[in-house]
Amino acid sequence: MKHAFQALPGHTGRARPVVDLVVEGLELAPQACLLDTGASEIRMGRHVAELAGIDLGDTHDQIVVAGLQTTGHPASVQLELRQGKESHTWAPTVYFCDPWPWAFGLLGLGGLDPFLITLDAYEEWVELHPLHR
Amino acid sequence: MPETSPKTVTIAKRRFELRADRVERALRQALPEPIKSHYVVIGQRRYPPKQAISLLTGLDRADFTTHQARRILTGLGFPAGRRSGQAEAKAPGSSRRHRTPAVRPRPSAETLEPFVGQWVATKDADVLVAAPDPRTVVGWLAEHHQQADSMFRVPSDELQASGAAPW
Repeated sequence: MKHAFQALPGHTGRARPVVDLVVEGLELAPQACLLDTGASEIRMGRHVAELAGIDLGDTHDQIVVAGLQTTGHPASVQLELRQGKESHTWAPTVYFCDPWPWAFGLLGLGGLDPFLITLDAYEEWVELHPLHR
Repeated sequence: MPETSPKTVTIAKRRFELRADRVERALRQALPEPIKSHYVVIGQRRYPPKQAISLLTGLDRADFTTHQARRILTGLGFPAGRRSGQAEAKAPGSSRRHRTPAVRPRPSAETLEPFVGQWVATKDADVLVAAPDPRTVVGWLAEHHQQADSMFRVPSDELQASGAAPW
């Protein structure tokens, strides 16, 4: 499944490798997530869980994202990656964080386990091949 | 927008006095409906011409045509356009080469420019809706039975874009 980078306006540098993840319960608005091999887990804003009706329970961890301390609520959530007629669904742990001042969610290594990834920064695309393991 | 001179128009046999600055102010609180084809740009947002004229005049949309609405609004100085088809969509990025086939287009940096700091839902190369908070964006998608390709906040700086450092 090949995805174009997302270009950004103004002084935000070059286009970013972003993929859109369908979060269960929020199918009409796939969440743009920055592919981040420097991050260990999948992290999204807490608002995503609220919009999707995901119960976060009481468990939470204090975590640091890019130097900012935030509270992450882990939840096992079904995610789907779509591209045309292709689709891959899996259920990783996602940390829903508050505060979350970033523009995108983060698709860290924990979210990349089911995929083989090819990234072409020059041509500005990333391709994720589901491995079904 | 500075104060502008009024323009008298006749729609459905009724006369209205419209001013560009007041049009912009009146539509500020109204989220644009989905664009099917034609749009006018008012306050950096794309509105279906009939929605704009209906909101401004209180007239039923059956009382006038899209082209009539478009002509009135462009006469007030608002730019108009037609939604781009997929074939016309700009490739992502600005300076890089794109030989990659079968990649869904995304909005260009220029398309996103008016929405810096806002949450957007996008489809192909277009912005479907923009709002200050994600709940409004999702509410709009549900209300108008729209399916987005992607939802995110248009970053205002490098830090928001990459999460490279705390704010």
